[in-house]
Amino acid sequence: MTSTDAETTIRQLQKQNRILAKQLKRSEADRAKLEDFNRDKESILKRIICELQESQSVLEKKGQDLEQTLHELTLTQSKLVEAEKMAALGALVAGVAHEINTPIGTSITLASTLGDETKDLVKAMAQGSLKRSRFQNYLKVAQNCAALLFINLDRAGQLVQSFKQVAVDQSSLEQRTFLVKPYLMEIITSLSPHFKNTYHQIDLVGDDTITLNSYPGAIAQIVTNLVTNSLTHAYGDGDHGHITLEVCAKEHYILLRYKDDGGGISEQNLSKIFEPFFTTARNRGGTGLGLHIIYNLVTQNLQGQISVSSQPDQGTQFDIKLPVHLKKN
Amino acid sequence: MLKIAVGHSNDPDSLEAAQEVLEQCNQDLAGQAPQVGLLLTAFDFEHSIILEQINATFPDLQLIGGTTDGELSSVLEFQQDSVTLMLLASDEVEFQTGVARHVSQNPVELTRQAVVNAQAQLSSDPKFCIAIPESLTASGDDILQGLQTALGATVPILGGATADQAEMKCTYQFFNQEVLQDAVPFLLVGGNVVFSYGVASGWTPIGKRSQITKADKNTIYEIDGKPALDFYHYYINNFVPSAAYPLAVFPAGEDRFFLRGSLTHDPEIGSITVSGDIPTDATVQITEASLDAIISASKAALTDALKHYPGKQPDAALFFSCSWRRYILGTRTKEEYQEISTSLDSNLPICGFYTFGELAPLRDGGPTVFHNTTFTTLLLGTP
Repeated sequence: MTSTDAETTIRQLQKQNRILAKQLKRSEADRAKLEDFNRDKESILKRIICELQESQSVLEKKGQDLEQTLHELTLTQSKLVEAEKMAALGALVAGVAHEINTPIGTSITLASTLGDETKDLVKAMAQGSLKRSRFQNYLKVAQNCAALLFINLDRAGQLVQSFKQVAVDQSSLEQRTFLVKPYLMEIITSLSPHFKNTYHQIDLVGDDTITLNSYPGAIAQIVTNLVTNSLTHAYGDGDHGHITLEVCAKEHYILLRYKDDGGGISEQNLSKIFEPFFTTARNRGGTGLGLHIIYNLVTQNLQGQISVSSQPDQGTQFDIKLPVHLKKN
Repeated sequence: MLKIAVGHSNDPDSLEAAQEVLEQCNQDLAGQAPQVGLLLTAFDFEHSIILEQINATFPDLQLIGGTTDGELSSVLEFQQDSVTLMLLASDEVEFQTGVARHVSQNPVELTRQAVVNAQAQLSSDPKFCIAIPESLTASGDDILQGLQTALGATVPILGGATADQAEMKCTYQFFNQEVLQDAVPFLLVGGNVVFSYGVASGWTPIGKRSQITKADKNTIYEIDGKPALDFYHYYINNFVPSAAYPLAVFPAGEDRFFLRGSLTHDPEIGSITVSGDIPTDATVQITEASLDAIISASKAALTDALKHYPGKQPDAALFFSCSWRRYILGTRTKEEYQEISTSLDSNLPICGFYTFGELAPLRDGGPTVFHNTTFTTLLLGTP
């Protein structure tokens, strides 16, 4: 290497050295800026983490509050459901008591009549003034009274029997095998006080021999609620309503079709009727639980399905499909 | 015929760098004497030494330039801490430089007067103007107004504001042998010259377009009747307004926009001070961009310029890219140049720098706008 070449190489190396030194200085400055930047970012990040932690605590507290509220609401709801059931039972008791009052009252009158007649007869015998014709008359009255007493007490007994069955089933929800149509008849009978002083009519149609192994109490509750709903919401004063309850056996299920020809349900409300606490009659004491209870009884206790179709002024129809055999839970 | 030479040195020694740059230029010029030069350097150099060296080599050269936030050229591509010089020689293109000094005293009038004086030296009307204005002492919009008033609304002004590597303390402008502050050196180009330009940013307006309801110069007080900071926070939570999310500003009746990045903000009154003036009755939108979109914008600006170039092939290209783009792109900054170098003739002389604000019209024939966060391309040559 000549001295000129060496000088050139040294100059180039010196230039490289200057460039590298400058780049190093620039890198150092950039690194310092980056460190500042990172510190800023870190402080922002720390602040955000603190805020997130605070938010998390607030959310956890809110979550606990919500859980507590939900728990309380569930309790309240089940209490309300229970209260509604008891209210339905109460209405049933009142209706049945009113119904029984008539034969019992008649029986008391008859027993009183028979007592008075017997007392007069005993008195006449003691005085020795008893005539044959009078004795024969007494026997006629006694026979009539006994016959009427039997009829009235039998009627009262029937009412008590049907009420007992419905009330016991409703409160105990015991599973048993039963004839569907006769059972529905008993329910309708127990509901007959509701139809007094109205022009409404309820018809039961279908095969008498259909049996079901299920919870009759649930069915009683369902029918009671459906009838009460129709009477409360579907008809106005003086309407001549016609309710039909039909039972028929399909291939894999029993269809219970309930139909009224009342005012129907608007499209807007139709999608909400099974929701708990949805009611259009809160000002008249409606709780909005009747149809919700029906829905729960059909889908849970009876393992069935319920659907509704209705249009304003076209009446409402509920189709309840019940499995012939319940699956064991 | 337009002869153009470019030199670029990353030697930190001012004398060595100047000599290297001049050596490269002399090789390109092959004995031809240049009439005008554009010098762009990093802040750290001893600029007077560089200017002395250039003057010693080309005593009759008219020169403009300034300090930058990064330098670009066809020799060393993107560099920091370097010197780049472009020299132009032509017997059919007319060049006339000028300078407005102490512009902060009266930016509009002093700049206007300087252009009027320079125009008087030209034998023909200028076709366009290249300006390298001060960025920290006076409003870029006022400077632009002075330039535009003298030149007329249809003469485009292109260029970039001088920078100081993000220190935001002081920048220098060069005029012939002088190192100046608070000055606007410019070059008027006339005669048998053709040119085109393109501007792109990569940022896309998003969200609702809202009305500026209260603003003064470059401070926005209210947008849609609410504190300006609320508008920012609605989109980017409680983050401090930053250059990464500039505002797209649509002048009244205009569907194209320019960008304004946030410099500072006042959380008390909810105002935002941005990097340039806001026209009255303008509407604004928040913007967003990915790094890839920002890099692609350099190609978009070049493609637009190439599409409108009236000659066969440009003889030179000048690039003015915003320093904010460099901060955001970081180590990917070099990709901006790489993205466009493939679309250009490898022998095309290119020179440019990272600026504190770019000058270019929003559309052909329209007045020039002071931009931020854009990549601006100027192509020039003879027909």
